[in-house]
Amino acid sequence: MRRGFLRASLRLLAVQGAWNYERMTGVGIGYAAEPLLEDLQAEDPARHAEAAVRSAEYFNSHPYLAGLAVGALARAEYDQVPGAQITRLRTALTGPLGSLGDQFFWAGLVPAVVGGMIVGQVAGYGWWALGLGLFLYNAVRLATGHWALRTGLETGARVGHAVAESWLPRSIPQVGVAAGFLVGMALPLAMVGLLDGQPSWAVLIAAGTMLVALAAGWRFSPRVTSVRFGLAVLSLTVLLAWSWP
Amino acid sequence: MPVSWAQLFGLLGWGTLVGVDLVSFPQALLSRPLIAGAGAGLVLGEPEAGFKIGLVLELFALDVLPVGAARYPDYGAGVVGAVVLASGAEPTFVLGIATLYALLFATLGGWSLQWLRRVNGRTLESAAAGLAAGDAATIRSVQYRGVAGDLVRSALLTALAVGVAFWLRPRLPLTERMELVSAVAVGTAVAAAASGAIRSAGREARLRWLAAGAGLGLLMAALR
Amino acid sequence: MAIVLYRVDDRLVHGQVVIGWGRPLGISRIVLVDDDVAGSDWEQELYRMAVPAEIELRFARVADVAAQGAAWAADPRPTILLTGDIATMAAVSHAMPVGRVNLGGLHHKPGRSERLPFIFLAEDDLRQLQQLEREGVEVTAQDLPTSSPVSLGALT
Repeated sequence: MRRGFLRASLRLLAVQGAWNYERMTGVGIGYAAEPLLEDLQAEDPARHAEAAVRSAEYFNSHPYLAGLAVGALARAEYDQVPGAQITRLRTALTGPLGSLGDQFFWAGLVPAVVGGMIVGQVAGYGWWALGLGLFLYNAVRLATGHWALRTGLETGARVGHAVAESWLPRSIPQVGVAAGFLVGMALPLAMVGLLDGQPSWAVLIAAGTMLVALAAGWRFSPRVTSVRFGLAVLSLTVLLAWSWP
Repeated sequence: MPVSWAQLFGLLGWGTLVGVDLVSFPQALLSRPLIAGAGAGLVLGEPEAGFKIGLVLELFALDVLPVGAARYPDYGAGVVGAVVLASGAEPTFVLGIATLYALLFATLGGWSLQWLRRVNGRTLESAAAGLAAGDAATIRSVQYRGVAGDLVRSALLTALAVGVAFWLRPRLPLTERMELVSAVAVGTAVAAAASGAIRSAGREARLRWLAAGAGLGLLMAALR
Repeated sequence: MAIVLYRVDDRLVHGQVVIGWGRPLGISRIVLVDDDVAGSDWEQELYRMAVPAEIELRFARVADVAAQGAAWAADPRPTILLTGDIATMAAVSHAMPVGRVNLGGLHHKPGRSERLPFIFLAEDDLRQLQQLEREGVEVTAQDLPTSSPVSLGALT
């Protein structure tokens, strides 16, 4: 099982490669699990055949934490955990690993890093800010992926307890606070940076549009999304600018 | 502004890479508009245009959280096309229309992702027997076809976004009046990011930190 | 009413619930009605770690709803009541007043067909939902607050 670790890690980088509405990331999970299950083929071919079928069934979680599921489910197969119990574990991991990853990465680290990159860029450190942000983000992401697969393999069916006791749930509030602070900082700086050198009427138009857009979003959500509002208002403004005599 | 073949292939390659990065591989933050725009600007030798357009679209992207299999726009190819559209032009004249252009392609990109997910579903149906048998070759084949499909999707979307931008660029009447469009684009983009940030903040500590950050940002902006 | 969302979602507690709905609605409690999870300590531990510390996660069996539903509804804390399938939500609606049900995610299984990217239904599922509407419960499908709700009629 251990000798497949590196290949499984690399395959997990593309865990969403065959994303579909029927099995979601199930096939990606099966693809990543294949190297880990190779030894089982020699040890117990019948069990391996069952495990391979299970490995690609419906699954969805945060992609960076999928290694926890891949590792835990592979370990459970070697531990001869009954198949029905493995299926139950697989189902039960779906929501929690999605929730934890979404909170830590999508709603936490991503806006924190992006907010920091915007602040750095407006402050005049464009390439440095982007490079540092990319480096930090990917360092955390790759380290998390390595930790996830290792933890899953070590703990098997006890993976839930291992994650609950780990750094991950505890760090979500901190990264959330960082995200809130950095995005908050980025907003006025981005506006000022983008309007740098523009006449005062342009600043007033931008501020007025911002207030109208916020009010429209608040009043007409979810029908009026920011992209729909942007498309409509910008199209009208372009027509106005071109057709005004 | 003429472009070389190397720049053209560079743009197509970069747009394809940021497209597949969004969902398939390697999900390394390259698909964020800030990075996609900067990369396109670097290829075209106009980093400032790339930074600015990337920043406006990044503010739109901050409104969306890709939580739990939700459907979302794909900004990558549109941002690359928008940087092409803006290259060689006065930034304040072109920022607004380039934003509109990128938003159109981001919407198209979002639809193309849903289309790809359905194509992957049909691949799954055709591979049903192999998957039911746990055949490793079938699993690999479905996986590779999915990634290849996303590569093709991203490449076609980028080719369209870049091609139309090159065609459109000399035909756009870019006058001083277009500054109005740019100002509207900035206001809409900041509102998008602000509403996303407020929605994500909930009503606990994070909301207070968001307000504190905004206060510090305002102070820094005033001191600039 | 303190229960601000009655949601059917076969992934139970995940990102769309905790972040997508939880944050804008200012949720401070989730009631998960599921007989299997209510009887399984290790599954409860998994779901607990998926929820931030400021949100209380309560596990209940269908049989608990009749006795505790009124108290959940009277509690001023904004709450999401979550079930993993339609039958459980129907049982909830028979045990306590439910005005509106949100279909948040019912995924592919043999016999089900796609109605929306996040809603797959078999004919029997549809019949159960139509029965719910006949009983006065409004049923809409909506994965996130930022997407538009789709009426049950549009899912047939």
